[in-house]
Amino acid sequence: MKRNKTVALLASLLVIFLLAGCSGSDGNVKQEGAQEQTRELVYATAKDINDMNPHLYPGSMSAQGMIYESLVENTPEGIKPLLAESWDISEDGKVYTFHLRKNVTFHDGEPFNAEAVKLNIETVQRNAAKHSWIKLSTMLDNVAAIDEHTVQLTLKQTYYPTLLELSMTRPYVFLSPKDFLNGETKDGVQGYHGTGPYKLEEHVTEQFAKFTANEQYWGGTPEVKTITAKVLPAGETTLLALQKGEVNFVFTDDRGTDSLDVEAMQQLVDSGDYQIVRSDPMNTKMIVANSGNTDSPVSDLAVREAIWHAIDRKTISQTIFNGTEAPAETLFASNVNYADVGLEKREFNPETAAKLLEEAGWTLSGGSEIRTKDGRQLTMKLYYDVNSNSQKTQAELLQSEAQKLGMKLELVGEESSSIANRRSTGDYELLFNQTWGLAYDPQSTIAAFASEASYLHTTKGMAQADELYRKIDEVMVSTDEETRKALYKDILTIVHEEAVFIPLTNGSVTVIAPADLEGISFKQTQFELPFERMSFK
Amino acid sequence: MLGYAFRRIVLVVPLLFVISFLTFILNGLSPMDPAEVVLHAQGVPVITDELIAETRSDLGMDRPLLVRYGDWLITCLQLDFGISFITGDPVWSLLGPALLNTLKLTLVSSFFIILLSIALGVVCALKEGKWPDLSIRSISFLLTSMPVYWLAALLIGYFSVKLDLLPTSGMNSLGSYVLPVAVIVVGYVGIYFRIIRSSMLSNLNADYVLYGRACGMTERSLILKVLRNSLQVAVSVFGMAIPIVLGSTVVVENMFAWPGLGTLTVNSILGRDFPIIQAYVLVLAVAFVLFNTVSDLLNAAVNPRLRKEF
Repeated sequence: MKRNKTVALLASLLVIFLLAGCSGSDGNVKQEGAQEQTRELVYATAKDINDMNPHLYPGSMSAQGMIYESLVENTPEGIKPLLAESWDISEDGKVYTFHLRKNVTFHDGEPFNAEAVKLNIETVQRNAAKHSWIKLSTMLDNVAAIDEHTVQLTLKQTYYPTLLELSMTRPYVFLSPKDFLNGETKDGVQGYHGTGPYKLEEHVTEQFAKFTANEQYWGGTPEVKTITAKVLPAGETTLLALQKGEVNFVFTDDRGTDSLDVEAMQQLVDSGDYQIVRSDPMNTKMIVANSGNTDSPVSDLAVREAIWHAIDRKTISQTIFNGTEAPAETLFASNVNYADVGLEKREFNPETAAKLLEEAGWTLSGGSEIRTKDGRQLTMKLYYDVNSNSQKTQAELLQSEAQKLGMKLELVGEESSSIANRRSTGDYELLFNQTWGLAYDPQSTIAAFASEASYLHTTKGMAQADELYRKIDEVMVSTDEETRKALYKDILTIVHEEAVFIPLTNGSVTVIAPADLEGISFKQTQFELPFERMSFK
Repeated sequence: MLGYAFRRIVLVVPLLFVISFLTFILNGLSPMDPAEVVLHAQGVPVITDELIAETRSDLGMDRPLLVRYGDWLITCLQLDFGISFITGDPVWSLLGPALLNTLKLTLVSSFFIILLSIALGVVCALKEGKWPDLSIRSISFLLTSMPVYWLAALLIGYFSVKLDLLPTSGMNSLGSYVLPVAVIVVGYVGIYFRIIRSSMLSNLNADYVLYGRACGMTERSLILKVLRNSLQVAVSVFGMAIPIVLGSTVVVENMFAWPGLGTLTVNSILGRDFPIIQAYVLVLAVAFVLFNTVSDLLNAAVNPRLRKEF
């Protein structure tokens, strides 16, 4: 009996010591953390950075953007030099000669030269099937190293967005040839050595990735010496970790979803420790209507126009986004190249919407609350990303507006990958989507209008579909700026008239950073941030 | 006893076969073309028919289902679960460390769940209907019905941010265990101590207790007898508690950014990384079968009557 008592006593003591020991050791860890975090950035990311191979697609683009660089850079002022100091384009637009920056080395000490460029581009081309979204991959004929610092790209035909596509985060960026696996990158690589401002120092899957400043960086050593990407899957924890200082930086992620809501951000700024910085519009959030779905009312232009008129963008901008996103009236914002073409606005006006439906033969009869035409009900499904609070709220708002018009919208929340699959197979009526962003708009997004895997189903039911596809083919090979402008104007006018891409708001990149961080700026893409330009006061 | 143990273990083999087969064909039930799933998982922006065909033959998906199942099973027996669709890393190199991390969390939690359940169950049974019983039961009712993510956020907000005692998330030090373990324990103790309590109560009212008392046994030795008998029920319940906790730490891991199985699986499900999902289901199923068998064997060791049923 006595023995049992002793055992019980010992057990309870053990528990107390365990708990006490835990909290004690932890206090020390925290203090160290507080000292360290003054000069480094720790950003929260919902997902692991994943495979950093720059010639494939699973990796985090913002992390890849720190490590790897392209030949040229896309800026608001146009294409600027990066790893290529200058370039010449032949008269017929088929031959590009790049003069490479000298004295650039990869993180493993290998020289960056014409041979490295040739090897990288060639290995990307040998896996061309995976890169079909980037038209340049189908246009490239060959790459030649003319001398140590000169590379020549020859195209099969003239393709004006060549420089734009070379400036993208992937796949035309450069990895040290020593990291190639059997001379290729498509089956994995042995290391992640680029030429960029940061090196990947340490990566613990599902926990964190640590990047350190590249002391040999050709553009000068970055001021912020260490950047850590910490995996925090839950938004609630992210807010608490920011308040405690375990992470001190957050930005809109690759998929365009914010882990923090507007209120939480304001709370952080009010504390005085943080600042919010927002970019110019980067993309357009929209509802895509499947004009090719002939069984659905959505194939009727009047229905699509009515939906457009039934969306109260001002309310969405002010109440759902607290003014952080501006109402969008056209597919592309006017700061997108070639997109400032003066299209007619379709205002929020339920009466116009009702009139359009009435005229098209969708009528209310026999006390029914849903309009019908030829015995068919005006009922459609709207798919939204189940992880996006804002999409769900917008869908509900639209649903109630539509109901007043005698239109029934069924809301279906799904995972983003399943929605992407619906878009490419055409198995939908209406779904939430966004344009690809400044670096890709308008050329890549417009090329996707005719691509089976992207928006072909969206556009193929339009009356002017054939004309649209012909003009898209023409614009990509156009050499004359005026012709190009005219063609883009026609293309944008057609999709606007057909109301297949129903704009909602213009999205931007939001950064939450320590109040004393300076030099926060943005690139021409929502997928990367120029960390090398940031510094602490 | 040995014969019973042997029969019990032999029975496990066909069960595992059925589980592994079901796991494998679940993959085939997805309405999407598996090759297309792989390409989506890899984040390829635009997927062409040509690319799908190429991927299908690369991955050997053009072969019949049964042949693929056979190959998969043979490699699985060698602990080789294939390659992740997304990263191209071997599944075991991702699943192994995650399993270990979750196992750490599970074992520490289970230890406290068992300890606390027994302690609270005994106290409640002995003080049945009095204030300790009533207060413990009502408090546990309240705590158990709290949503896990809410409780987690409350605890992090108070202990990590306000009092600054513990880290908010991650798995860096012993302190990282305190909050996730607390959240798991709170969720399960409320259920398990009731089992101990009711089992104790039914034993306390049994004839042998009355007889023991009549024979002049001391209260203390009587209670220990009752506890020992009550624990027989508990052995199988706790035996299953470990795999249940193992498979249900998803929300806790997500909240605390614990790099374990839950986080890995949720990401794999969202990314449709089927080799990882298959391996996860298989490992968990094996864990369930294993713990069930072990607790059966333990029970049989304690209670000879059970051995005869086989």
